[in-house]
Amino acid sequence: MSGTTTTVNLERKVLSENERLAAELRGQFARHGIFCLNLISSPGSGKTALLERTLASFPPDKRVAVLTGDIQTDADARRLAKYGFPVRQITTAGACHLDARMIVRALEGWDLASLDLLFIENVGNLVCPTSYDLGEAAKVVLLSVPEGEEKPLKYPGIFFKSKLMVLTKVDLLPYVPFRLDDAIANARSVQPGIEILQVSSTTGVGLDAWLQWIEKRLGTESANVG
Amino acid sequence: MHEVGIAHSILEAVRTEMLPYTDAKPVKVTVKVGAMSGVDRNSLSFCFEAITLGTPFEKMILEIEDAPADELELKNLELEEP
Repeated sequence: MSGTTTTVNLERKVLSENERLAAELRGQFARHGIFCLNLISSPGSGKTALLERTLASFPPDKRVAVLTGDIQTDADARRLAKYGFPVRQITTAGACHLDARMIVRALEGWDLASLDLLFIENVGNLVCPTSYDLGEAAKVVLLSVPEGEEKPLKYPGIFFKSKLMVLTKVDLLPYVPFRLDDAIANARSVQPGIEILQVSSTTGVGLDAWLQWIEKRLGTESANVG
Repeated sequence: MHEVGIAHSILEAVRTEMLPYTDAKPVKVTVKVGAMSGVDRNSLSFCFEAITLGTPFEKMILEIEDAPADELELKNLELEEP
């Protein structure tokens, strides 16, 4: 017995539910004039360290908050809470990335009208967070110099989707076999328009440029820039 | 391994689409996966097989097509109606 075959057109994104929630978040951020950055990197590339230096540089009345994601522990939230700004830990209990629903939940009860800037520190992972829009204005990928200059070629998705690449731990450049020019060329081969900054959260080198990159966009680019 | 989540999203979409076709059998679902989407095709196929095992979708084929850039889209669903 053979029946008739019917083809149903689907023509929509696989992650349409996540896309819907991300669009809602983006709308909320736009309404409140919040500039939101989604920080993505391998584990140990220095996302938390960069955020610590960033928060430490802000005056106490800075309207900034942080959501930080990890599979387990609230260690990062405790590190970041020292600077006096609102911080919430998202513990994913196994999930390798943050999704838009987790952000919606984590923001519950927060007065968004009191914020201009929101950092989302994703779970340390160069692959999975790539697929999930969190309503951010831009994704920022961090690449620490001990990881090697081939990362943009090995994990092209996140470099393709990021507005900015921050090369971190540049104070280690004299000690590791990292070819800076190759790293930049590799990132640009994946995405010619990617902006690149070099920082060290240990020495403070390059932090001013990072802070200026953010300040330039505050209040003016709550919509998607990336 | 977020491909498990992606596989669940695909299956969920198939279930929803099949609601109006009460007696139909799912044959094939086609998704378009771009090289920059952050989704590994082999992992996705493996996960899809794993989550459909022992369900009415066990025999359904997951076809993965090339797509530009970071596209990650459902294309179509093939059903067999009695």
